[in-house]
Amino acid sequence: MGVISVDAVTKSFPVGRRVEPLVALDGVDMHVDAGELVSIVGVSGCGKTTLLNIVGGLETATTGEVRIDGDIVVGPGPDRGMVFQSYSLFPWKSVTRNIAFGLECARWPKARRRERIDELLGITGLTEFARHRPDQLSGGMRQRVAIARALAPEPDVLLLDEPFGSLDAQTKRAMQDFLLSVRALTNATVLLVTHDVSEAIYLSQRVYVMAARPGRVLEEVAVPFGTVRGPGVLRDARFLDLRDEIEDLLHGVSRRRAQLQGDAGPGTDVDPIAGTQRTGDVGGQRFR
Amino acid sequence: MSIVPDDDHEAVAVEPTTAPTDQQDTTSSAPPDTATAPAPGTRGRRHQALTRLRGDIPRSVQLGLGALGVLGLLGGWTVLATTMGSESFLLPTPAEAWSAGLDLYRSGDLTADLSASGQRIVIGYGISISIGVVLGVLIGSFRSAAAFVEPQVALLRYIPATALTPLFLLWLGIDEAPKIALIVVGTVFYNVLMVADVARAVPRELINASYTLGAGRLTILRRVLLPHSWPGIIDVARVNLAAAWLMLVVAELLAAQEGLAFRVVRAQRFRQVDTMFALLIVFAAIGLVSDLLLRALRNRTAPWSEGSRWV
Repeated sequence: MGVISVDAVTKSFPVGRRVEPLVALDGVDMHVDAGELVSIVGVSGCGKTTLLNIVGGLETATTGEVRIDGDIVVGPGPDRGMVFQSYSLFPWKSVTRNIAFGLECARWPKARRRERIDELLGITGLTEFARHRPDQLSGGMRQRVAIARALAPEPDVLLLDEPFGSLDAQTKRAMQDFLLSVRALTNATVLLVTHDVSEAIYLSQRVYVMAARPGRVLEEVAVPFGTVRGPGVLRDARFLDLRDEIEDLLHGVSRRRAQLQGDAGPGTDVDPIAGTQRTGDVGGQRFR
Repeated sequence: MSIVPDDDHEAVAVEPTTAPTDQQDTTSSAPPDTATAPAPGTRGRRHQALTRLRGDIPRSVQLGLGALGVLGLLGGWTVLATTMGSESFLLPTPAEAWSAGLDLYRSGDLTADLSASGQRIVIGYGISISIGVVLGVLIGSFRSAAAFVEPQVALLRYIPATALTPLFLLWLGIDEAPKIALIVVGTVFYNVLMVADVARAVPRELINASYTLGAGRLTILRRVLLPHSWPGIIDVARVNLAAAWLMLVVAELLAAQEGLAFRVVRAQRFRQVDTMFALLIVFAAIGLVSDLLLRALRNRTAPWSEGSRWV
């Protein structure tokens, strides 16, 4: 299980008296099926993190609602594991104790707890580092601990907020493959927020492209690759086309301006906001 | 291109007064001593380890400099004391202060005073830190607690605690109670506000992560906020301990039968300046030792914390 449905979610922040409230999210609809891995990409300020926090129950929607398997989300809970860009590990706890935290909160019996921790240490390749503290680990290892900690209480949904955003390019690639391998071992639904278009395509089955001011879903793009991903995917022509298409969507406004100035050649007359007048339909199949 | 051999720079290092440090001066004043293959030139300027900005210095040098400073202080004191002439009783030499201290110790007074003062500090400051931790963590964790408590604290802390001494003497008599009360009142507001800042510094995301792992508010308070604040709480205790001693001295100056500050007043009455100095050194030593102990506690119990790696 772990079906996420986001239904007309709006979030606005009051700015001050006589000033229009800031609309971070404007009528966002999303649907993620059980076991699916779906990404949200968008420029900074498009409200993608706010949306993820609403799904996680850390923030509340101004209007609209989020349901997990039909239940309305009213607050955070261990059924929705979260991983943040800044790791957010407990700095005084060892790797083992960090992973154990959620299990202790859920009152798992000791033997089962140890079993689960050992399993996760094995999956994440951290068995040798079980007693290390977070400050003694590299960035990639810390993020693996954070993922293991979130997965420990067996959540229905895993919410990842720019999880690899502060890692270097090589580590990032390795962590993306790690995430795919972990996913094969659990059947949690994964919702990933990122600003890295390649990462979104490489990892997910579908990509929601969001725009800013107000934050809204611009486009929903299906990724035409199977569940097995690898370096081949990155060199696939469809991958590159899809990446260009999404990049164009994200930077649509500036692209359109370039077009007005006559800089853009033929075949690029994309109206990103409406998402309609397209000359070359590339990459994925469109949903709306 | 400079053709200065490396030796010149070492000469600079050994005799900084005779050799010019500026590289261009060196080029013009020091002729190349060998006409054969010119040594490679150098770029940039070498720095001495001791004078480099934020440079690392060896541990031995660090300790040596520290010892030199203390010896300098004692030397200056000795020189000053021996040149006082007829007024010399006003400033004893370090040796005189030391022997006065030994006398005080042998008489048993020092031990009694130390335990009397120490007891007051431990009880008074213990109460103050306990209140500080409880209220501070609450203020730092709940906006409602902050809204309720902070205005009271902000108002009360501007009343100089020492101004309350006569009131405490009137209310609580002249025994231990007013002294302990003064230590508590003189430090508790700082402890509360500083611990509140420490608790507020716990990252929002750490609390959010705990929530998503299924922790309730009490669990987070006990298992996340408190452990994360622990090294900061030790630092607060360390900083405000000096204020506790200040309050103790005020209390003992006014009314006491024993205690370190009481002993200072008594020595003044008998013109035993050497004993007074001995007691001042005892104060300094207690401060130093308790500071080192608290630092050691922090390093031992919170090795993960930023400030714990250097001492």
